[in-house]
Amino acid sequence: MKRILVAYTTLGYPSKERFLEFVSKAGKFGVDYLEIGIPPSFAKYDGPAIRRSYEHVKKLGIDTREALRAVAKNASAPIIALTYLDDYATVLNRFAEELSSIGIEYLLLPDLLIDYLDSYKEVLETLRACGVKPTLFVSSSMPDRLIEEVSKHSEPFLYLGIRPATGIPIPVDPVVVVRRVRKLVDNTLVVGFGLSIDDIANAVNAGADGIAVGTAIIEAIERGGIEEAFKLLTKLRGVLNEL
Amino acid sequence: MVNNLDLIKYRDEILPKYWYNIIPDLPKPLPPPMDPKDGFSRIELLQKILPREVLRQQFTVDRFISIPDELLEKYTIVGRPTPIFRAIGLEKYLDTPARIYFKYEGALPTGSHKINTAIAQVYYAYSDGVEGVTTETGAGQWGSAVALSASLYGLKSFVFMVRVSYEHKPGRRGLMEFYGAEVIPSPSNLTRFGSELLKKDPSNPGSLGIAISEAIEYALDHGYKYVMGSVMDVVLLHQSVIGLEAMKQMEIIGEEPDVIVGCVGGGSNFAGLAYPFIGLRGKGKRFVAVGSAEVPKFSKGVYRYDYPDAAGILPMLKMITLGKDFVPPPIYSGGLRYHGLAPSLSLLVKEGVVEWVEYREPEIYRAAAIFARTQGIVPAPESAHAVKAVIDIALEAKKRNEKTVILFNMSGHGLLDIDNYRSMMMRYGRL
Repeated sequence: MKRILVAYTTLGYPSKERFLEFVSKAGKFGVDYLEIGIPPSFAKYDGPAIRRSYEHVKKLGIDTREALRAVAKNASAPIIALTYLDDYATVLNRFAEELSSIGIEYLLLPDLLIDYLDSYKEVLETLRACGVKPTLFVSSSMPDRLIEEVSKHSEPFLYLGIRPATGIPIPVDPVVVVRRVRKLVDNTLVVGFGLSIDDIANAVNAGADGIAVGTAIIEAIERGGIEEAFKLLTKLRGVLNEL
Repeated sequence: MVNNLDLIKYRDEILPKYWYNIIPDLPKPLPPPMDPKDGFSRIELLQKILPREVLRQQFTVDRFISIPDELLEKYTIVGRPTPIFRAIGLEKYLDTPARIYFKYEGALPTGSHKINTAIAQVYYAYSDGVEGVTTETGAGQWGSAVALSASLYGLKSFVFMVRVSYEHKPGRRGLMEFYGAEVIPSPSNLTRFGSELLKKDPSNPGSLGIAISEAIEYALDHGYKYVMGSVMDVVLLHQSVIGLEAMKQMEIIGEEPDVIVGCVGGGSNFAGLAYPFIGLRGKGKRFVAVGSAEVPKFSKGVYRYDYPDAAGILPMLKMITLGKDFVPPPIYSGGLRYHGLAPSLSLLVKEGVVEWVEYREPEIYRAAAIFARTQGIVPAPESAHAVKAVIDIALEAKKRNEKTVILFNMSGHGLLDIDNYRSMMMRYGRL
């Protein structure tokens, strides 16, 4: 079975042109889904690297709508847009319709099950009615019952974050977390939030169907531009293919 | 009744081999720790100052976490399992059909439950290969637990004690020093943060927030680990030994509690007793958290992200809080003066799984005296809050002629607080 590789980058990072080049070529490096972060007003569950990338593109003054259109045209893999519901709670309908009209298939709202739990079902209905499929994010600090319940609503996979914030190498045990969640859900399970290369095999052996990488990509771009990020993707694809 | 002989006979059966984490069994997701919008990453800081395994336990959420044998041995050395007593003297005094049991954490050498997590955190610091641990303490209860734990593992301990307490509580300070700790009045000249403050005001009385900042800075500068007595989930995890033991002990006695009661500062002693019951056997039971009316977090607190420490150095947690800058009035229950409530307990209160009640100091003073005179044990002023709630519940049971089984956590004894009780006597009159 082919293991899934999800690559995250921030909309318009590190520049409009380089960003478009990244999304148009990532597929060639074995990326199955592109996760594109739309800079929120407060990235509360993100770590320092991703927060830096948001600040960077905010300074560039990128037009979100225009950039999203360009992604949809150029992307080399299906797109999962990522942003915080905090910024769109009151205009969700309009936002989802816009995503759908642009041709973006999936939307991930990391704060949905944490800060909007009581209304999450309505949010899912709104998204579907507008033609956007919800990708749900769960973490180990969620109760078993909820993970079980929401898993069936998530497309194209269930996203499991194994750390409290993106990219901070807190020493968690991915095997324990993946095993616990694997027992609860039948859905395709993608694991992310600060996985190290060494964690990947362990996470997959514990039952994950794939991995999502974000911070490592942003840090690679910071170090050596998108070429460095492509090198990282090649390496990750290689590790996954061997499992 | 589980008496001492039974404790030895059943010791291996009563002392759990694992801790219980309630997070997978909560009714709703626990909001994660969060970094503030601006400034450095507090979550990243944790990684530098906490023992590796403590962090792993905080962030790898699984229902049962096994307790290493070496640590179990230390639990045994300090007197775990602790006894459960039936408070027959109190029952007779109240003339109630209720049956009252209490888990006696005051039987531990430093006089309270605090050592359950201190031993664990210091063990993991020791496993990381560091030479010493640092922490802060207000009145000295937590500092004593860390001082003893460090000595058990042959580590140095540096306890930054709020200067005003350092000066006014020589007994506590002496206890920590006797256990081998270096006790430093905070603010001090040992850290940049402390010496800056002393430069501005040489008579700065200090605060818990300042002491935390100094303990963290000192750990960073010297390659030590910092151990925390506050509201992080991992602290509550370690305290679950109390409830897991109690569950077994009640089974041996042949009783099932209907109501479980504990006093609440940050929530660790309450959670320690109640969480295993809530998560594993909660059906049909009542859980009552007892706070101080002078620190009205249950009645006036707001559920929001706030810093767990007054200095704002640790990651923000979503909790019921009076605000990190809340200045408590001068009550004698030092352990209940904390501004917030552990995130998981906050959520259980919000969801109505845990009920709460708050009492004023004169009420708990009276309850403490009743307990001391009918049972012999002088409760810590904090634990006297639980006693007051138990008395009220037992009297309610009497009114309705119900044989309610009540279990509460006597989280600490009050023998080191006798001066506080003497002051209460002067403030509220002799009873």
